[in-house]
Amino acid sequence: MDGQLLSATFVELTDTMVADFDIIDFLHVLTQRSVELLDVSAAGLLLADPRGELRVVAASSEAARVLELFQLQSDQGPCLDCFRSGQPVVCIDLSADPRWPQFADQAGQAGFSAVQALPMRLRDQVIGALNLFRGTVGAFDPEVVHVGQALADVATISLLHDRSMRRTDTLNEQLQTALNSRVVIEQAKGKLAERLGIDVNQAFTLLRDQARNRNQRLSDLARAFVDGTQVIAAPSGSPRTSRPGRIRQP
Amino acid sequence: MTYVERRGRVWGLIAEQAAARGGRVSAADVCAAVVPEVEVTGAWLSAGLDALAGHLLQVTDEVARQLADLQLTLGEGPLLDASGSSGPVLASELADGEWGTRWPAFGSAASQAGAAAVFAFPLVVGAIRAGVLGLYRNRPGPLSDFQLGDALVFADTATLLLLDAHDRPAGLGSYRAEIDQATGMLTEQLGVGITDAFVRLRAYAYVNDIQLADVARDIVGRRLRLVPDPDLPLGDKT
Repeated sequence: MDGQLLSATFVELTDTMVADFDIIDFLHVLTQRSVELLDVSAAGLLLADPRGELRVVAASSEAARVLELFQLQSDQGPCLDCFRSGQPVVCIDLSADPRWPQFADQAGQAGFSAVQALPMRLRDQVIGALNLFRGTVGAFDPEVVHVGQALADVATISLLHDRSMRRTDTLNEQLQTALNSRVVIEQAKGKLAERLGIDVNQAFTLLRDQARNRNQRLSDLARAFVDGTQVIAAPSGSPRTSRPGRIRQP
Repeated sequence: MTYVERRGRVWGLIAEQAAARGGRVSAADVCAAVVPEVEVTGAWLSAGLDALAGHLLQVTDEVARQLADLQLTLGEGPLLDASGSSGPVLASELADGEWGTRWPAFGSAASQAGAAAVFAFPLVVGAIRAGVLGLYRNRPGPLSDFQLGDALVFADTATLLLLDAHDRPAGLGSYRAEIDQATGMLTEQLGVGITDAFVRLRAYAYVNDIQLADVARDIVGRRLRLVPDPDLPLGDKT
């Protein structure tokens, strides 16, 4: 592993955790950095909602997000096992593993052959999992597992960062705020995609770029855009795609 | 307990309240149902865009009414914070220094009124704000994880009941990003705000007896568009 990249990544992540940072944006960056640093194909992050379900809050790619969702819907997979046991779960060859036949199928179709799931722990509680997907079979380097766990720990800390950890309620307040921010961002993605005739992934990239340019938190810009108090235009130079057939009023 | 089981149980408790009252299920039934279930002393529910401009829909007792009034009078308190942050505010011990610093006037007034702990849940779906659900205890102490999970599902149900007119809210199902994306897309297709878009999306699923997630997927996949005028057929497959 590239030592310089390693330290640069942790410096970047801890530098981002300043007052009033955007947790969803942060976790998204964390999954992207996990992919670059750990040389895996994709990464996804699940958090436990006290309502009794896990929620996908960040993924480095759409394929990873869909695969995480699939595990939640089919109620099987390495990430669920990791969350339930609180222990890392690894599978170095999904096609030869009998534990999660449906998940293995789905992962294979998405191009993933191996998976490493790492728990997010806070004291004696498991609050989520960071999942690394790889396109090739074979064991994960112990260093990858080690650094991956450190990234999972950073994700845990980020949820608690801007409040004192003295109160046991803090995590739950932060978690619900984060989950609702995720919803606001998805609403904004849909609105922007429809307005500009682009797909939702392009809309997400544009939203993030605009938030950075305006020096604004991603979820604040998303909310203002949904509420109609801020406008986001198509980036200059990209021709506006024509809308799919609009239904006209008679 | 899974989310689906919990949602079913919570719905049953709310429906029992409505039946005992002899009326249709409404958001107000949530207050009566949530109190024994999460072991709080009382509850109140206000509807509206924000807690200050909100309209008090239901209170279970006089202390709850005072707590709701106090926040309006003093301009501070957990409900105002909850509606600002979009996350719950869980003040399990009002006498504790942290909360005293945060709401100097509300903290002591609430204690005098008889509340030792206050829990406020914003009724939100992303950028949609339907109101706030407040709970209080006459003794200090946090909600257990189980009680918190229940309280969140009661709040979800109250949100849907405030937004929809249906007897039984179709439920959000397990969380799907496509539902939120479709809601955002409908604001543009229908030329309406996010709350109306959400109501129209759910109404379309309800009227056509299709799963909400399936309707959402068709909208995001651009196989379905809804038309602006509610008097016209609700949508056309393209």
